[in-house]
Amino acid sequence: MRVVIVEDQALLREGLARLFTDGGHDVVTTLGDASTVVDVADRERPDLVVLDIRMPPTYTDEGSRAARDLKARCPDVGVLLLSQHIETTHAVDLVSRPGFGYLLKDRVLEVGDFLDTAQRIADGGSALDPKVVARLVAPAAGSPLDRLSERERRVLELMAEGLTNTGIAQRLVVSERTVEAHIHHILLKLDLPESGDNHRRVLAVLTHLRAVHERS
Amino acid sequence: MGLPRLRPLPGILLVVTVLAELGAVGLSWGLESAWDTLFNALFTLLTVGTGVLILSRHPRHAVGWLLCVLGLANALMADLPQGWGLRAAAEGWAGGPAGEWLGLWAFFLQTPVLVAILLLFPSGHLPDRRWSYVVWLSVAGTAIVATGWALDPDTGQYFVGGRNPYAVPGLPTDTLFRVGVTLVAVAMVAALVAAVNRFRRSSGVERQQMKWFALSSGFLVVALLPAGPLWTVTPLVHPLPVIALTVWPVAIGVAILRYRLYDVDLVISRAFTGAVLTVVLALVYVGSTLVIGEIAGGGSPWATAVSTLLAAAAFKVLHQRVQRRVDSRFRPERHAALSRVGEFLEALRAEEVEPEQVVEVLRSALGDPTLELRFMLQPDEPLVDERGRPVPDGLDGARESFAVERGGITLGQVVWLPRTEEQRALLPSVVAAAGLAIEMARLRVELRRRLEEVEASRARLAAVADQERHRLERDLHDGAQQRLVSIGLALRHAQHQIGSDSGEASKTLDGAVAEVAATIDELRELAHGLRPTALQAGLGPALRELVSRVPVAVEVAATPDRYPPDIEAAAYFVACEGLANAVKHAGAERIALDVARHDSRLVVSVADDGMGGADADAGSGLLGLSDRVAAYGGTLHIDSVRGRGTRITAELPCVS
Repeated sequence: MRVVIVEDQALLREGLARLFTDGGHDVVTTLGDASTVVDVADRERPDLVVLDIRMPPTYTDEGSRAARDLKARCPDVGVLLLSQHIETTHAVDLVSRPGFGYLLKDRVLEVGDFLDTAQRIADGGSALDPKVVARLVAPAAGSPLDRLSERERRVLELMAEGLTNTGIAQRLVVSERTVEAHIHHILLKLDLPESGDNHRRVLAVLTHLRAVHERS
Repeated sequence: MGLPRLRPLPGILLVVTVLAELGAVGLSWGLESAWDTLFNALFTLLTVGTGVLILSRHPRHAVGWLLCVLGLANALMADLPQGWGLRAAAEGWAGGPAGEWLGLWAFFLQTPVLVAILLLFPSGHLPDRRWSYVVWLSVAGTAIVATGWALDPDTGQYFVGGRNPYAVPGLPTDTLFRVGVTLVAVAMVAALVAAVNRFRRSSGVERQQMKWFALSSGFLVVALLPAGPLWTVTPLVHPLPVIALTVWPVAIGVAILRYRLYDVDLVISRAFTGAVLTVVLALVYVGSTLVIGEIAGGGSPWATAVSTLLAAAAFKVLHQRVQRRVDSRFRPERHAALSRVGEFLEALRAEEVEPEQVVEVLRSALGDPTLELRFMLQPDEPLVDERGRPVPDGLDGARESFAVERGGITLGQVVWLPRTEEQRALLPSVVAAAGLAIEMARLRVELRRRLEEVEASRARLAAVADQERHRLERDLHDGAQQRLVSIGLALRHAQHQIGSDSGEASKTLDGAVAEVAATIDELRELAHGLRPTALQAGLGPALRELVSRVPVAVEVAATPDRYPPDIEAAAYFVACEGLANAVKHAGAERIALDVARHDSRLVVSVADDGMGGADADAGSGLLGLSDRVAAYGGTLHIDSVRGRGTRITAELPCVS
């Protein structure tokens, strides 16, 4: 996997580069701010661009803006946004597109999971940080999520994180058939259409979750 | 107008008059009533003295010269010859009858001078040139009267010798006298008409002067009326004409020289009040003495005592009322102005008006719509208006300032444009009457300003605190947290470097990374408490994220409007505290969170269905919230009845 890393803090930038290199990936280049990332990505055509959200000059949302531009220019390039804090609205908004991920920065410390997620995004999948998902799926009184069982909610969380049926089965140490049954029930209870396409399914779930979230 | 300077010619006239009067008094002393002698001397000296004083200020003033001439003529042609005549007759000197003869008729010559003064007062100029005919008429009349009188054989009775040595028998002296007196009377009436006309048309300074003149003339009439019929009854009235006539030149002098110094209206009003009170109290006393005398018998000491008490009581009751009545008649402007201020003070006590409105009252009472009231809050600070705004120092144009003091403290100043002397004279008493309201207004201005300063500094402090939290939050995210992630990554790299075969070391590193991750989590929570980063996306998203952490159903209604950052932060913390209160203390099951813009205010309300009874004073949470809202100029209402839920509403001003 060919990776471009955009991070303003040198120490972290190098750490991320080493992490990908150690994992056997190819770090094409590293950048200190988001100003040239779209051009670089257009030229290098990497599999994945890892972007910090807060970067110079204003330290607000340079990363997410660069991510949108990048997606507009090079839709095939996977984009992984790294954030310092949990923020649901932006996250869901961004991840509602294919080949897009939103993770908290400290997620990189779980090297194996992190690299798996990065690979999934590079392959056109989605990823949403479990903490963000947890907040979205938090049971509020009167919410339709109340109707889900504990197990179903856990499956929903993993769906929202962007995992495939296989990934969910592995994570929960159950058979894929069991996972499929859970997903069937969840979609039924939430009145969502069934779909074989993993990304379309994630999208539907996220859209639903966000709607539930904003209504509550 | 400089200092008064004695000029040579008037000085000489004064000296001559004094010498003549000394002579006249010396000659007549003991030969006629001492009153007559002294009164004539006093009148003459006062007249010349006043004339000289006027000339020392206004060297060309006709009235000054006329007074000098009047006094001098009186001294040389009336007092001195008369004294000579009396003394000569007593001592057997020569020329006695000639002196007596001069004294007999020369005083008539004063008449044209009096007519001229009437016409010329107070300006020294005739109202119109045609009025000079009146002077000439009086001169002609006086000449005819003097001739008829001086040459009349019937005047012999006034001579010590019993006959007029210069009488011309056969001359129609009676006819001459009658004709002359008629002419003089016509001239006098005409001059009086001129004076009355001048008075009626006068305004400002001239009116004040005419009032002095009228006052002394009125006094003259009042003093002379009882003197005539009572002259033979009691010697007590003998000084009256003396006093009355001496008052007249003095009044002329005051009118021309010192009209500003004394409030003539006040003098008139007090004099009239005194007169009315005297008459009424005398009637009360006499009436009560008579009535009680009838009942208890004449000469009873009870009658005197009771009458005195009655008169004293009547004085107490009547004084104020009569004074007010008389004031409203003789000092209408002053009366109107003061009663306007009085009404305002009454309304102020009844809390119907604001003290600041005293400015409008002063404007209407003093007839100057441009009048300003400037308050002095601190001696070294610029003056401020009634709304606390600083006013530029100094006066423009003809405006005048008047320092307002009360109890030895300078409250400020009145800046205005008086159009008449009456207005200028009115100001001090009106301001003094309105003193309480002015002081109240000043205190309120000062209080309001202090409050504004406190509010501004509180808002600044809150803003600084907010910025500080923001900075801390960013430092935590961008500094410490990132650094920890870097350390974690370094540990992972080390783990990779030592390879997977070193199981124990790898486990140690796993533990270290887990510690680092936990620390990052803690820091994140800490930073979030400082300033929610979700606010970057706006109040609505931030609040939705907030309620997602609340274990109770919350209905959020928020528009996507944006507000100033500090206002959004304040609103966010209102929601936080409101939700915390509802969940922790109220045991609510449903909560409604509303954020909406009403005009220029952001209104946040948190309503729950919990137990109610919340109190801003009881919990530091709600109290701190109230402070926080107030710091941005907002207000916090807590509507909480036990058993009926709680509604916390914050209104924050937002200009955007």
